[in-house]
Amino acid sequence: MIRISGLSFKYEGGREEALKNIDITVRRGDFLGVIGSSGAGKTTLLHAINGIIPHHFHGDYYGSVKVNGSDTVDNKPEQLAGTVGSVRQDFESQMVSSVVEDEILFGLENFSVPRGEIEKRLTDALDKTGIRNLRERNIATLSGGQKQKVAISAIIALMPDVLVLDEPTGELDPQSSRQIFRLLRDLNEKHGITIIVVEQKIMLLCEFARSLAVMDRGKIILEGPVADVLKSSRQMESAGVNCPRVVTLADRLKDENLYMGPVPVNIPEAEKMVRSITL
Amino acid sequence: MGGFLDYSPGDSFLHRLNPLAKIFLSLMLCVSCFATGSPIFCLMIILLNLGMASVAGISSRALAMLRTLIKFCAFLFFIQVFFIREGTILLSLPFNVYVTDKGFMFSLMMALRLIGATLPLALMLSITKMNDLSNVLVGRVGIPYKYAFSLTTAIRFIPVFTAEMAGIMEAQTARGVAFDTKNIFKKIGLIFPLCVPLLITSVRKIEGAAISAELRGFNCRKRESGYKSYPFRTADIGVSIFALILAAGAFFSF
Amino acid sequence: MIRFDNVHYSTNKINIINGVSFELKKGDFTALIGANGAGKSTLARLCNGLLKPSSGAVNVGGFDTALVRTSRIAKFTGFLFQNPDRQICKNRVCDEIRFSLECVMEDRAEIEMRCERTLEEFSLDGERDPFSMSRGERQRLVLASILATEPELLLLDEPTTGLDYRECMHIMECISGINRKGATVLMVSHDMEIVQDFAREVMVLNDGELLAHGSTKDILRDGPLLASASLLPPQITELAVRLGAGYENVVTVDDMVSAVKKKREGAE
Repeated sequence: MIRISGLSFKYEGGREEALKNIDITVRRGDFLGVIGSSGAGKTTLLHAINGIIPHHFHGDYYGSVKVNGSDTVDNKPEQLAGTVGSVRQDFESQMVSSVVEDEILFGLENFSVPRGEIEKRLTDALDKTGIRNLRERNIATLSGGQKQKVAISAIIALMPDVLVLDEPTGELDPQSSRQIFRLLRDLNEKHGITIIVVEQKIMLLCEFARSLAVMDRGKIILEGPVADVLKSSRQMESAGVNCPRVVTLADRLKDENLYMGPVPVNIPEAEKMVRSITL
Repeated sequence: MGGFLDYSPGDSFLHRLNPLAKIFLSLMLCVSCFATGSPIFCLMIILLNLGMASVAGISSRALAMLRTLIKFCAFLFFIQVFFIREGTILLSLPFNVYVTDKGFMFSLMMALRLIGATLPLALMLSITKMNDLSNVLVGRVGIPYKYAFSLTTAIRFIPVFTAEMAGIMEAQTARGVAFDTKNIFKKIGLIFPLCVPLLITSVRKIEGAAISAELRGFNCRKRESGYKSYPFRTADIGVSIFALILAAGAFFSF
Repeated sequence: MIRFDNVHYSTNKINIINGVSFELKKGDFTALIGANGAGKSTLARLCNGLLKPSSGAVNVGGFDTALVRTSRIAKFTGFLFQNPDRQICKNRVCDEIRFSLECVMEDRAEIEMRCERTLEEFSLDGERDPFSMSRGERQRLVLASILATEPELLLLDEPTTGLDYRECMHIMECISGINRKGATVLMVSHDMEIVQDFAREVMVLNDGELLAHGSTKDILRDGPLLASASLLPPQITELAVRLGAGYENVVTVDDMVSAVKKKREGAE
């Protein structure tokens, strides 16, 4: 689906490379979480996938990013937008309309979607994100979580195969953050959309994502299914990324030779782990 | 303050008018205010605005706007009225300051014109969706999409920047910046703690908005892209004729 | 240090704070938690006079906030906001710290001395342009410029939003440091792990009312209380509650490891 080979990139005027020799393959239907300390290159990576790099931001570009076989260097961002939909953290400045309905229409109009199809795409997008009742609402009156759902809906309407999100819950409270991740899981499991999401909230990623990529200073240092990546918690910590507490607990218990089993990623699994030790 | 330019949903006669008719009406009302020489006419236009606001269901917003405008114009009025020296003296004050009839009329007209001209534009924006505005400018008037989009984006960013500004003032007040200082030089120096953060965040937001728009196909848009059509109906024609008559009447009223 | 007497605050006819009363003593480190819209940010702003109460009295450091100018209160309080970019207004780190100091004092020699000391304490390069720094570094700069003024009361409104783990810990260590030196800290936060790790007391706010005010351990273990405020407990605490007997005093991972060991020895 998305194949990145040997990707290195240095921003024009940058002091050092923002991305160093990145190799990663994201398969269709994957739910990949990307985490790393600030400056690790996460946003740069997303920009390389949706074409903003190299078309909007220029610099020294090596390697290749192929989306469905076509190279992003040969396709402008608007051509890629049909396959790769992007949602950014700052949803406020992204909004272009007064009303939810118009916001979703914006992309559909831009891409000259045939008139007969527009209404169906509009209602589909609203349904998939569960905000059909917000259709006529004035965007300024919505909560942060609702606004983010509108932003996601507007991108879904373009029917991308891949949804790329840059810290979508950065400005949201814990409840709204969970809602957004539940939405992402629905889009992934029910509608087959591949999800790549950059987040700082490790616990949400561990709970919802299936694969994890940890970045540090321009490189991907760990990558694979969530449970596998969490085994290398020491490495994650040295990259400035924290682990869920239950994982740290499992590590400590392993150090004390009390536990040898699989790493728990949530509380029920941790409970099982502790009970298995104390029985 | 930004809230008053937000779209206020509704189904009134005015909401349903063609955006072009609404623009034309507001423009004619503005023009009338400047064309007329009679303060009574200006006052009538202001009342008409308030009437329209109540039809559209936004009278509380209109009254709030009116209050702010009156405060601002009263301030201008008092500055202006003491500077005009010709004409018969109406009121004499110490320090050789006096108010003349010409001065009074001039300042009054200026205040009324300002109010009468600002209200229609602000009200029009409250009852027209941004999308409709830009679609009609592109589809009917022929303005290139990029310009119409820039206009609606600028309008849309006003509340965003006002909120930023409020946040900045809050942050600076919390660190001890005294915005209520009497010292004029200190006041000028206060511009920096306000403008620098505002500029930086503004540039960042605008670039973010530009990237988002690009990723949603902004560059692909053509003139015919707009989904909704805006027919010009009898009501629209009627309103436009009314506006024209009003403007004509303004020219002839003294 | 802070006393709220039946404080109400409303704006646009909406009641945001409804009859809140509490007292914070000097040296306390209290976290303020609650669901979105509960009124936490409003309460924090009532504490330093940015907002004045509609009724009731807010007394900070001996001053009634309704009677005193905010800039007067700012002389001994500091407020760290979520977004550092709203405060940074100079293009050199040292100028930013100097500006903060100039807002609350006039002795030039003292200002220079404190500026130097702060740059050292926080390992900041005085000549750098704040906007070439990462968000976490900028937040640290704003915190440094606030702490340079040696506030007696430090108010924080979600100071770790948008920061990665490392930056988050840096900021919290600095805040802990100043609390150990005697400053009172009130922190609004969503992050239960941080609340558990750093705050000694917790206040729970819901719909503008104070539901509870007590020690961190007691409040975070109270599942029904947190649920009524639409909150979730931190992971280790929830695990401890689920495991039941023998895990009553577990707060940190270390506590949990000791408790597990003890249970095992007991079972053998």
